[in-house]
Parts: sequence; structure tokens; C-alpha cells
Amino acid sequence: MSPSTLGDGARTSRATSTNPLLRRILVTLALIGAVVGLEFAFDTLVPDAALQQLVLFALVNVVVALSLNVINGMAGQFSIGHAGFVGIGAYTAAIVAGHIHKALGVDDILFSNSFLVMPAAILASGVVAALFGFVVGLPSLRLRGDYLAIVTLGFAEIFRLVIATAQTGGDVEGPIAQFLAYLGGQNGYAGPDRNGVPQYAGPFWIFGAAVVAVIIAWRLKFSGWGRALRALREDEIATASVGVDPTRYKVTSFVIAATGAGVAGAMLASMRNGNPTVQPDQFTFAYSFDAITMVILGGSGSVSGAIVGGVFVTFTVKMIEQLQRFESVQALQAAYPALDLNALRMVVYASVLIGLMILRPEGIFGERELFRRKPRQRVSHAPPEPLPARTEAEADPKSETGPLTGKGEK
Amino acid sequence: MSALDLQGVTKTFGGLRAVGGVTFKVPERSIFGLIGPNGAGKTTVFNLVTGVYKPDTGSIRFAGEELSQLKPAQIARRGVARTFQNIRLFGQLTVLENVLVACENRRRSGLLSALLRSPSFFRDEAEMQRRAIELLAIFDLDGLADETSTSLSYGNQRRLEIARAMMLEPKILLLDEPAAGMNYGEAEGLKKQIRWLRDRFDLTVILVEHNMQVVMGVCEEIHVLDHGETIAHGTPEEVRKDPKVLAAYLGEETPDEAAAAAAAEEEAAT
Repeated sequence: MSPSTLGDGARTSRATSTNPLLRRILVTLALIGAVVGLEFAFDTLVPDAALQQLVLFALVNVVVALSLNVINGMAGQFSIGHAGFVGIGAYTAAIVAGHIHKALGVDDILFSNSFLVMPAAILASGVVAALFGFVVGLPSLRLRGDYLAIVTLGFAEIFRLVIATAQTGGDVEGPIAQFLAYLGGQNGYAGPDRNGVPQYAGPFWIFGAAVVAVIIAWRLKFSGWGRALRALREDEIATASVGVDPTRYKVTSFVIAATGAGVAGAMLASMRNGNPTVQPDQFTFAYSFDAITMVILGGSGSVSGAIVGGVFVTFTVKMIEQLQRFESVQALQAAYPALDLNALRMVVYASVLIGLMILRPEGIFGERELFRRKPRQRVSHAPPEPLPARTEAEADPKSETGPLTGKGEK
Repeated sequence: MSALDLQGVTKTFGGLRAVGGVTFKVPERSIFGLIGPNGAGKTTVFNLVTGVYKPDTGSIRFAGEELSQLKPAQIARRGVARTFQNIRLFGQLTVLENVLVACENRRRSGLLSALLRSPSFFRDEAEMQRRAIELLAIFDLDGLADETSTSLSYGNQRRLEIARAMMLEPKILLLDEPAAGMNYGEAEGLKKQIRWLRDRFDLTVILVEHNMQVVMGVCEEIHVLDHGETIAHGTPEEVRKDPKVLAAYLGEETPDEAAAAAAAEEEAAT
């Protein structure tokens, strides 16, 4: 256990295998190349505008699912107010991006200018959402399960309702009321000049955010921090008994998840050809619920699961909507006017979920991953001094002295 | 110099006095037994020492430092490790991961280097894994390193819990009923293991145990509790002969009860 033998362990590590630095640089370059390529090739690859929207929205949802997975999957807490963090990120990014765009003085949305706008918007929304994550995470120290869930739900609803019910127009007094009025109440925020939030987040930014989110989520999960978080999920008292402070880990998990949600919100607010106003109705409980569905469907605690869940839920919801355009479905509706297809959509959606929960209660992936290196063949250390006589011992079968009658030892 | 020093420690839950003014010192590098009938407050004492509960009054000192105001994780990091009466492992984690969690607090590289996968992250991880495997080998669990801990047999789970506690490199090891569910032979093995651990790692071991074969065979000093109060303290020989201890365990009649019983007998005879 002395540090002198450190080299022995490090040799088996991936870090020192063949040219790790070179490999890492190449992978990074390839990823950047792919994302930049997508920015320009996206229109060709996905010509349909509606489908483009859907793909970008699915990727934003992947980021949302990955971030929620930190709280709900890894840490084993239960947040049902994730839309609140997304919303905070969206509003923050819309304000920041709107003002920078205005200051730039160029009306067109230029790809080159997005490098001035998006980093600031992402940073701001991440930081603001992280602050809220910290505040909402604090109750998680004392509350658990359903009680914590209600706190998170309350937070998300308070956030949404404060904005939605803010008094707009007329004379509003006080800085807070004026700020809320500025956010546009129920109608939403549409930039400083009310002509729409600049939509700088094209495929480059949204694919990029998704790729970075996947890498971060993966590295968090397969690090000591992720391990401690999963241990916390299994048994809090035992985790504390081995020197891991549950408080710190839980609050950190909330902060990280909120940051991720905030960045997703930034993407949502400035998504190309997306909704040019950020509205409180985008962040209702229904959206939080969708996020939970993505995580549970994919498999709580699984990074692969969050990706698949995010894409799957986005597309399923859309697909059921699309179904209404079919002639046969429309004919059916003509025949039975009482048939409410929107309500039916939720019924179908719920049935799919119930079916999946019966067939695979742990989600598609469980806690597993799609690609996972097999554990390395470990060098078997012969124990320097093994524990003496383990279970067999020199048991005397004739002895009547069992453990329960062992009073006074023989 | 004592490893652990309890002075007048009291803990009440509602109206119940679980531990009432318990005072004892645990000599350094000793194997110390804490015994008593069910509900005597033994596990409560463990929970007080490890910070799961805060004492109402009294002090708990470890290496000169007051523990009673510290949080469980802080106490663990100072070198007080424990196992639990009803095994508490991290079920869905592998055997190796269970042990690795216990050296998380010693990691030098932070969250950022984990995100960047910096060289220090790999170095720490490799070093931690090496130590963990070494420790698992001592407990004969290295072959099961990649199994989830729920899939282990009961005996292996008990050993894994001790291995996990040992990963903290503790100065004091608190074992809560390690012999529960063991047969005679296994309990004999456990006795050897406890002594061996103490010698190999320079530990102080405190043992809560019902199995008298183990307690009397391995402990150098024993403290007996009943209804949260100290009723005896001494070597196994002394404790074994102590009338109060016998009374607590066997429910010996008090003079009043004896008189009442005699009266009842008389009445029945007439």
C-alpha cells in the first residue's frame, strides 16, 4: 500500500496504453469535424424542415434526459421539476443572446457571430440554473422520496407561474415587477426589441451540446464521484460510514443536473427555426414528466438509456401527432365525431409506457451501457498475508456448542 | 492512552433512555467487547460513536478529539470504521466498487480532473484499484471482484463489509454482531480473523456480539450494558462471574420476585 508500487498499477491503466494523447487528440478533432460538418450538411442530410426541427428538439431532449439522469438515475433522488431548470436556462439565454445580438448590430443570423453569442448564452444559463439547482438541492439533505419530489415540483411550478402571471403593460412599479413585466408574462419573452429571440443555435451548437453532454455524463458515471453517488443511492448511512459526505454529493448532483438542464434550455431558446419566443407554457409539468419518462424508459442511471429515451420519447410524441394526418384516421374521426384524437394520443402513449414497465421495469438498458469495455484482466495479487483459517476452521463436529448455546465457551 | 473515551454519554428517544450515562475507555490496540441483552443499547452506542446519532449529554473522544459534534462522514475520515448489524452493502455495485467507495475521500484529483480524464485521474484510479484488489485478496474476495454485492453469499457479504471498512485504513474498527448467523466453525475462524486484523493493521477493535463463544474467546476487556446502563466491566473472566451479568442474561429473580413467588406457591398449597 505504499506509493512506491504505484507504477505497477498505472501500467495497466488506459492512460498509459499506446499513445493515449495522440488518440485523444484525433478523437477530439474527429468529433469537432463531424459537428462542424453537420452544420453545413444538415440541410442536405435532412431536407424536410419539420424533421429538422424534430431532430434538433430530440437532441435538446437528450441533454435534458442526461442531466436529469444524474439526479434521478445516479443519485437516486427523485426530481419531478426538471422543466423549471430548463426554463430558467431558456429565459437567461434568450435575454443574453438577445442583447448581444442587438449590440452586434447585424440583423442576419451569421454562423460566425454565433461564436460570440452562444458561448455567453450557454455560460450564463448554466451558471444561473446551477444557482437555482443549489438552492433546490439544499432541501434534499433533509427530505427524500416523495417529499423531495414535491419540493422540486413546487419550484418548477412557482418559477412558471411567477412568470406566467406577471403583470405586463401599464405601469408596473418596483425593479422585480418591472423585470417580470419585461419577461412578457404569458405571451413570453421575444428578445429586447420584441422581434424574436435570435436563433443562433444551429446543428453545430445543438449537436455539439449533445456530444459534450454525453461525454460529461459518461465520465461522471465512470468516475469515483459517480461511484460514490450510486453508493449513496443504495445506502446513505453506509456511504457516510465510509467517509463520503452525502450532503456534498447530493447538492453537487443537483447543481450539475441543473447546469445541464440550463444549457439545454439555452439551446431550446435559440434553436434555429424554433419558437422565437420563450414562453412559460413550454415548461409545464408535462415537460418535466416527459423528461422523467425519457430517463425511466431508457433505464435509470444509464447514459445510453438517456440518449435512447430522449430520442424515443421525442419521436413517439411527434409520431402519434403525425398519425392524425392519415386519411384513414381522419375518416375515422369523421365517422365518430366524439373521438378526441389529442386525448387518444395520451392514451396510446401511456399504454406504451405501461407495457414497457410490465415487460422491462428497469427500462431498456437498466443501468447498463451500450458500449462498455470489459473489465481488464487484473493482475492477481497473491495476498501478502492472507486472512487465517476462513470459514472451514477446525470445527469440531462432535461439539454441541453452537453459536447460540455458546455461553461460557465450552 | 486510550483509543476511545466515552464520558457520561446519554441518549434518549422520546421517553426511552436508550443509553444512560455510559462511561468507558477502550485501550489502544485492544479487542474490546460491548455486550448485553437485546435492547441494552449496544448498537446505539455504536451509532453515537460513528455520529449517526448525536448524544444528548456526555463526550466521546477519539485520539483527543471530541467526536460528538462531527458528522458521520467526518468521523469515518478520522479513522473510525464500522460494519452494520444488518449488513449494509451497496447492492447494485460490484464487490470492487463497494470497496472503492471507501477510499473516495482520499482521492487527490477532483471532479474536474475526472471530467477531463487527466493523468492524475488515471493515476488515482489505478492506485485505488490496486489497493482495493490487494485488500479483497486478503479477504479472499478478489475472485468475485466484478460480481454485484447482492449476488454474494451471506458469509462473503459479511467479509466484504469488513473489507470495505478496512479500506478506510481505520484506527478503530467497530464490528456490530459479525458472528450473527455463523456456525461454530465459522465463529472460531472469525476469532482468529479479528486477532489477525488487529495485529496486521495495528487496530483497536470494538465488538458488539451476542455469540459468547466469540466474545469470551477474543475480547481482552468487556463492558456490559443492560437497559442503557453499565452493569459490569472487566476481563472476560470477571464479567462471566459477575452476578449482575448473570441476572441480566438469565433473568435471575430479584428478592422481591422470589418472595412473591414463594407466597404464590404457599397460596396454591393451601
